[in-house]
Amino acid sequence: MKPTRSDRRALAAFMAPAVVLILLFFVIPVLYVAVVSLLKWNGITSPEFNALRNFSLLFKDKAFTRSIINNLIWALVAGGIQVPLAMLMAIILSRKPRGWKFFRTVYFFPQVISGIALAALWRSIYNADTGLLNGLLRAMGMGELACDWLGGLETAFPAVLIYWVFYVGYYMVIMMADITTIDSSYYDAATIDGATDFQQAIYITIPLIKNTSLLTCVTLASVLGLRQFEQVYMLTNGQPANTTSTIVLYLYKKLQDANYGMASASAAVLIVVGAIFIICIRRLFRERSAKISGLDTKGVL
Amino acid sequence: MKRAEKLLALILAVMMLLSLAACGGEPAAEEPADTAEEPAAQEEIIINFPCIWVGTDSKAAYLAQMVEEFNTENAGSIKVVIEEQTDYQAYRDKLRTLVTTGNIPDISIMDTTFDIKGFAESGKFMDLTPYLDEGWGDNFTEGCFDAWSVDGKVSILPFESAVFPICYNTEILKECGYDSFPETYDEMLQMFKDIKAKGYNAVGQMAGENAWTSMLWYSLIVEAIGGKDVYADGLSNPAFVEAAEVLKEMYNYTFDGAVSAGAADVNGHFLSRDTAIYLNGPWWISNFYKEENAVDGVGLNEIVDVARNPVYEGGKGDGTGVVTTVQGFLACAKQEDPAKEAAVVKFLQYISEPERVSQWALSSGAMFFIKYTPSPDTNEISQKFTEIANNSSYSVLHVNGAMPTAFSTEFPAALSALVLGQTDAQGFVDQLQTAIDNSV
Repeated sequence: MKPTRSDRRALAAFMAPAVVLILLFFVIPVLYVAVVSLLKWNGITSPEFNALRNFSLLFKDKAFTRSIINNLIWALVAGGIQVPLAMLMAIILSRKPRGWKFFRTVYFFPQVISGIALAALWRSIYNADTGLLNGLLRAMGMGELACDWLGGLETAFPAVLIYWVFYVGYYMVIMMADITTIDSSYYDAATIDGATDFQQAIYITIPLIKNTSLLTCVTLASVLGLRQFEQVYMLTNGQPANTTSTIVLYLYKKLQDANYGMASASAAVLIVVGAIFIICIRRLFRERSAKISGLDTKGVL
Repeated sequence: MKRAEKLLALILAVMMLLSLAACGGEPAAEEPADTAEEPAAQEEIIINFPCIWVGTDSKAAYLAQMVEEFNTENAGSIKVVIEEQTDYQAYRDKLRTLVTTGNIPDISIMDTTFDIKGFAESGKFMDLTPYLDEGWGDNFTEGCFDAWSVDGKVSILPFESAVFPICYNTEILKECGYDSFPETYDEMLQMFKDIKAKGYNAVGQMAGENAWTSMLWYSLIVEAIGGKDVYADGLSNPAFVEAAEVLKEMYNYTFDGAVSAGAADVNGHFLSRDTAIYLNGPWWISNFYKEENAVDGVGLNEIVDVARNPVYEGGKGDGTGVVTTVQGFLACAKQEDPAKEAAVVKFLQYISEPERVSQWALSSGAMFFIKYTPSPDTNEISQKFTEIANNSSYSVLHVNGAMPTAFSTEFPAALSALVLGQTDAQGFVDQLQTAIDNSV
């Protein structure tokens, strides 16, 4: 049915606040970033037009290219390891095994602690001299493995990344909420047909959450991975030798230098990288979806 | 859709927008007070002072006392409101944002990580020259404005100073066969080796956070090699490469994990007496006297002594120079209201009055660009710092203070690359130079 003029007015009224907010807090800032990225500006004196020189300098800077690579690794690990781990936990706990409420709380608990506090905690765990990790290694007779985890060229980035991967509670809770909405008759029918728990997870649960909570979680985790800042800032400040730097940390350091042109240019690159990443995720899920629908048609119907 | 529902939606939408508009209004504190009931409140000048000298900072207690006394003396006419900021980096970030957006606080504290000369040139800060010329300037040490004034005008005031002599644990040195601190770098590096062989750490170093301690050591080595004019040619002076090699060698004699270490690690090792040598500014002296840092009733102050920067063989430094910095500038926003400008200056003059500064220095251990008579109660270590400062034939800024901000931002990355063998001394200097070249 074609909407009437009155309906259109009502729709406009409903949409107006959201449109205004998006304009104010997203479109205008992004345009501002785009403009400043073309300037040479220290925030005090008059800005000078700098064309694309900021971008040229960015891509010549090894610290920046390393930051992009780190962010991409971070986003891939988030989408490819963290979320699947969360999904596994969500599937297990949604079967309501003994103590499932306790474990749900335990897994979610780190989410209520500030990322800064967690980073500070892990900084002390990784401390080369007095840290728990090296202490444990020494106590277990593996003292030769003890090292400066956050100060080694090979160990720093994995150390920063690994502890964070296991904080899966946020995505787990989202997917658990989705799984509980799946009609139990699917599982009942599968049980009658002799499907194991594993088969039920693979052929019922995952396909039914794939385009809803799973896609949401992968997108969220990847985006959070792309804009990673506080953990790195607190743990290593991008060191040693910029091996743990991320784009936002790089941007922050340019702000510290009052180099607003390059800071904005790196923000513009982050926006583009983020957009490309999200498009890729969407396409990946759409293609997988199409393939699975095809299988469904052939195999089930 | 029913008409009433549409109307309701419209009303809700308008209310949301109005509430947003209300959020963006002026802060309540800036709005006119109830003029009918409290005419005096309207006349009171409020001076906002976002301040880092709060909390556990050694200058906090006496500053708070001065502010309270000043507010009492000027009750009803001027009120200084301190906005506490305990984290240095957060404070710097906030201040940069405020300056960039044109919301400069009435008074703020800056350090050399800010583009002080750029700020001074911007014309956004209060010109203090007329007030200094009226006699207030006589309270300040000779020449302290020279490096920071623009066209003869002083708008950002060097206030807290610092020198960086070497502090050392005499007991560890004695145990390692040293009755006094070495006078040359060769001897000092040999001593580091001997101390390490005895199972102690010779010196605290850190490449984590802002690499503060290592930056200070680098400054000392640069001064010893390059002398008083070391910064004249920027980083092209060969002293910077040679100093980088010495700094890298020092990492052989520090504690495990120094590459990722921060200030807390360096401080902790010296306080726990497993590291012999410590380098920091005078504000840290009070920690030597704290009971909590005593071991078996022996205070750290009883076993700590102070030494000058040794002489570097073949270097241009003659052992009479000192590495220094402006640890704190006082910056004031340009005021439209002459009464408020006068109030701000009155407060600055109040806290920079020599007798008060003398007490401030006594209570905190900090040093200032004010000519004051040190209190006879000044502790021994502070006196030694002052003696070294007063008996120096020249002073040079530490490298972070002498170089553009991009230098200090890049320093930890370049240092860790140097120490971990990813680059050599020349590469270290080149990395810093590139960072400077790419800055605004």
